[in-house]
Amino acid sequence: MIEAQGLFKRYGDKTAVNGISFTVHPGKVTGFLGPNGAGKSTTMRMIVGLDTPSAGSVSVNGRRYAEHRAPLREVGALLEAKAFHTKRSAYNHLRAMAATHGIPNSRVHEVIEMTGLGPVAKKRVGGFSMGMGQRLGIAVAMLGDPQTVILDEPVNGLDPEGVQWIRHLARGLAAEGRTVFLSSHLMSEMAMTADHLIVIGRGRIIADAPVSEIIAGRGQLRTRVRTDRPSELLAALGGDGTTSTLLEPDLLEITGPDPRRIAEAALRQQVLVYELTPLQASLEEAYMELTASEVEYSSHDLPLGARAQDVPEGSRS
Amino acid sequence: MSTSTSTPAAPAGARRSDGPRLSFARVLRSEWIKVTTVPSTVILLASTLVVMVGLAALASWSLQTGQAQLDSGGPPPQMGPPGDPLPDFGDLARGTPSSGIIFGQLLIASLAVVLIASEWATGMIRSTMVAVPKRVPALLAKNVIVAAVSFLIGAAAALLSYVVAQPILAVEDLDFALTDDKIVASIVNTGTYLALIAVISMGIGTLLRNTAGGVVTAVGLFFVLPVIVVNLISGLADWIPDAARFLPTNAGEQLVAVVAEEGALTQLEGGLVMAAWAVVLLIASLLVTRRRDI
Repeated sequence: MIEAQGLFKRYGDKTAVNGISFTVHPGKVTGFLGPNGAGKSTTMRMIVGLDTPSAGSVSVNGRRYAEHRAPLREVGALLEAKAFHTKRSAYNHLRAMAATHGIPNSRVHEVIEMTGLGPVAKKRVGGFSMGMGQRLGIAVAMLGDPQTVILDEPVNGLDPEGVQWIRHLARGLAAEGRTVFLSSHLMSEMAMTADHLIVIGRGRIIADAPVSEIIAGRGQLRTRVRTDRPSELLAALGGDGTTSTLLEPDLLEITGPDPRRIAEAALRQQVLVYELTPLQASLEEAYMELTASEVEYSSHDLPLGARAQDVPEGSRS
Repeated sequence: MSTSTSTPAAPAGARRSDGPRLSFARVLRSEWIKVTTVPSTVILLASTLVVMVGLAALASWSLQTGQAQLDSGGPPPQMGPPGDPLPDFGDLARGTPSSGIIFGQLLIASLAVVLIASEWATGMIRSTMVAVPKRVPALLAKNVIVAAVSFLIGAAAALLSYVVAQPILAVEDLDFALTDDKIVASIVNTGTYLALIAVISMGIGTLLRNTAGGVVTAVGLFFVLPVIVVNLISGLADWIPDAARFLPTNAGEQLVAVVAEEGALTQLEGGLVMAAWAVVLLIASLLVTRRRDI
């Protein structure tokens, strides 16, 4: 369990984290989602005490992280990639970390096995690819068999197999009743892994809710309609609150009225409709909508609300 | 690379009761593992030992040939700065065990700066401080390890130097016994001197968080500043040469000196002054590290 209260962090006159409060509960994967520079990493660094909050406080399992007698057994953290001495081997790095808590060598071998580092464990970390660096970071995080796991952008640099492994790991840890706090700027990743989302933008919390609620609460109702006479159908629907795009000569996307109203209008007008698909807003869209005004480094030549892919309802598991 | 998808399978209830937790002894052990698992530190330590003993052998040889020159009625050899009166060769001989210090301190200072500053350079410091979030024990442990290793290397090098120098000096009857006045102290304090150099340097490295800057600052303090003070600005005011005695290396030299110089600090005073530098820098580095973000 992670509890943050009124957490502020200023660097000079720049506010990185602007008075956020949140709770991360055990037993589920909580995603920490936000654009780059939104304050995710700073928040995670404050949780493990690398950065001192300018105001407010954050506790892990009821205490400040530094107050725990066995910090590595409370929290396993993967912060920025590569927090290792480049000349030391992965095995020796793990050994040095384990030694601080008297964690036995057998556990070092376990986490090497678990993260698939076996073949490279005796090699110097300096030669590691980003993906292997991430795996080593996760091995360190798992050393203390911690109750709370914090992973900052864990899928960065991982191959598809590694990404899937992280998903599986995060879900497995949560299923064991642990607290899993996972940051990413990738919505698709969160949609796959997280149960609950904390969305942050410009140092403020924009949303803190279950993934399903965030998707449901955002985005307007849209329906895909296939008909031979699109213009007549639109006329029958009337103008108020209805917008539409003609995707193909016989394919319309209608925003505003629900599928039932569209079907009724079609029936009234005797227009043949042979597809009527309600579209669910994707997490990506919901996220874009949430953070549109909160993006710190926006690229102006690209439209921010770049068309998100539509996910037909039901195809999300 | 093969991927294992297993998750740790520890029973949640059993994990609280058993042993693993932080302790200073364990942090010390971790720091010891760190020192011994980076090849460059091990190489640097070995070179320090070799260079110090080698220098002592050369110094003994130089003394031996100088003495031979005197004995044969030739022109007096040039020992020390030009124009100085010829020193007593017996005294010089008894200084040979610690004669490697001049170069040894350069290597030890670099080592101490590198040990801490490279953690910032590589990002290792974040791993260190997440494992030991109170920070002070981690830094203290690192200082204890580097001081202990430097002490052992220094004292061992001085003792080896003594052993190596005796047969060379014996050719001209310049050899001496371990039991002679101040010899044991000089050998042991070669270690003390290097340990204090290490702590001062690590303090500088911790405050600057930068390898190059740390090494330059340490070399400046140990080598350049004394030269500037003695050779360039000592004429400006009477108190300057007086104050120069309190520079860390000038004071520390008294730790290993076998002949008490006129007006210099005593062995104890010199040791205390150098130790004060070490303690002040250590405390400053602990306080700053505790406050600043990593």
